[in-house]
Amino acid sequence: MRIDPRIHARRLNVARFATLSLLLGAGVVLGAEPTEWLERMNKALTTRNYVGVFTHVRGTRAETLRIIHRVRGRDVSERLLSLDGSGREFVREGDELTCYLPDKRTVLVERRAPDSALLPAMPTLGDGSELVYEIRGGERERLLGRKTRVVALHPRDEFRYGYRLWIDEETSMPLKTQLCDKSGAVIEQILFSSIDLPERIPDSMFKPLVDASNYRWLRAERQLTATNAPPALWEAMRLPPGFRMTTRSQQAMPGSKEPVAHLVFTDGVASVSVFVEPRKPDSKPTEGPTQVGSSSAFSTVVDDHQVTAIGEVPPNTVQFIAEQVKSTSKSSGQMGIAPPRRNK
Amino acid sequence: MNEERQNERDSQLSAMFDGELSAAECELLARRLTRDDGLRAQWSRYALIGAALRAERGVKLDDNVARRVQAAISQEATYGDSSSTEVAGSTRANTAAVAKPASRWMQFARPAAGASIAAGVAAVSILWLRTQGTDPALVAMGVDETAAPQPESIVLQPEPVDTQITLAASPPQAGSVLKGEPDYSTPAPSPQASFAPPARFANYVVAHSEYSGPLARRMALLGIVGSDGQADVEAPAEVDATTATAAPGAATDAH
Repeated sequence: MRIDPRIHARRLNVARFATLSLLLGAGVVLGAEPTEWLERMNKALTTRNYVGVFTHVRGTRAETLRIIHRVRGRDVSERLLSLDGSGREFVREGDELTCYLPDKRTVLVERRAPDSALLPAMPTLGDGSELVYEIRGGERERLLGRKTRVVALHPRDEFRYGYRLWIDEETSMPLKTQLCDKSGAVIEQILFSSIDLPERIPDSMFKPLVDASNYRWLRAERQLTATNAPPALWEAMRLPPGFRMTTRSQQAMPGSKEPVAHLVFTDGVASVSVFVEPRKPDSKPTEGPTQVGSSSAFSTVVDDHQVTAIGEVPPNTVQFIAEQVKSTSKSSGQMGIAPPRRNK
Repeated sequence: MNEERQNERDSQLSAMFDGELSAAECELLARRLTRDDGLRAQWSRYALIGAALRAERGVKLDDNVARRVQAAISQEATYGDSSSTEVAGSTRANTAAVAKPASRWMQFARPAAGASIAAGVAAVSILWLRTQGTDPALVAMGVDETAAPQPESIVLQPEPVDTQITLAASPPQAGSVLKGEPDYSTPAPSPQASFAPPARFANYVVAHSEYSGPLARRMALLGIVGSDGQADVEAPAEVDATTATAAPGAATDAH
């Protein structure tokens, strides 16, 4: 008699989950509640007003940046600016993301796709995140003269990065963040030197430092060419452990006349986007890995489409996902337009 | 037909930015830039979005190629407009690699700009290509980028707007461009991740960031915002000077 390996794996998962729940339960009893601290931190980062200065360290390079974050009802504004060298800034207001590049005397304006006019599906802890991350810590540590809780999200496999966070007890803001690989080696880190949490942040705080009126302004084209054949549906046949699809939409991209299929996968902490666009007949396909800061990308060609997976995960994860992307329709012309799909 | 041609041009342009076109093909594409407003506008978008990413890397540019192409383009320009011959001549070509006020460069994207301006655009494109083609090992060793001005600051003198060229000549047929190019070369596959990300990855990073968690998103955007490197050392004095001398009309592109 043979045991179906899938059933076996499922049983194993159930067993693991049960063990974990016990362990986590025990943790809460003992007074260490790292998961709760993570939830508080995510809430603080997304719902509070704050103005902070931090240093971003990657390898031997360090750069100081300021972040300004404001939530007013449903309106979220955010400004991220480099205080060193380039003086670059990102300003996000509502659906519009404006990128000022004084060193290039250029402004890029990106608009969120109309499909995702609502708040985008954020990765949320839970739903099995514990199966792929070991969440531990919660002990007190003094940092910058403040009481913090140290929480580590340690990846259980090679498909994701880990985080070590120093979360301020009073405000739940992460005063220090380290991105680590499976072995615990730090890839990059963010260290705040100051954070204010003002009740109100005036609009003037979201004005860029530079006078950009003489800059060249570039906006992404958002009009798509109407196509008779509705686009095919795409999905990943298999995913690395813990990942699930949260969003599927079509969106316009600068430099591409045709709509680009955009799929989003998350394990509750990290997320990966897959972009699928029809391959241009005479262009060489992009294939293989690319690194953009701490984000990894992997490109491949499937059914004459250019497929690119990108996310803040190790290179093997984007490769795994990209290579699993398939069109689910036999004939792409027969399928309906994929509505933006959002799972909880 | 038109659509087809457009696609073909788009893909060539994108291939150029991804370092997948041979030098000879680049020259041809560069010549087309002198005639095609749409292509030129798209070029600037690719270049600038890509710039946001690539600036984090030290790059070494190949001046010889730039000069060679510049010369080729200058000749091309004379067919269209004799008045531009002088400015697009060899003297200018030799100084093409000198950093100049970037605001003037903005004018390149104006519809129907002068041929010599377009020639400058083409030369800059080639420099971009060379940026892509740089040996990663050299870059990793931090090979001198001070000797290699950043492409986006390389500018020819702006032309009066009235040197418009209305070349009705249609671009070469799709496919014909590639014929007779013996040295079209397939880029060698790299065992490592490519060092300088292609332009299209910038768009992907930004689009993806909308769906990242609060922590991860910040990390992703830092990959773009952070100057993160020496490549931003670029003739600061000259850049500063442009604020005062911004070309009239440059602001019409704003908003």
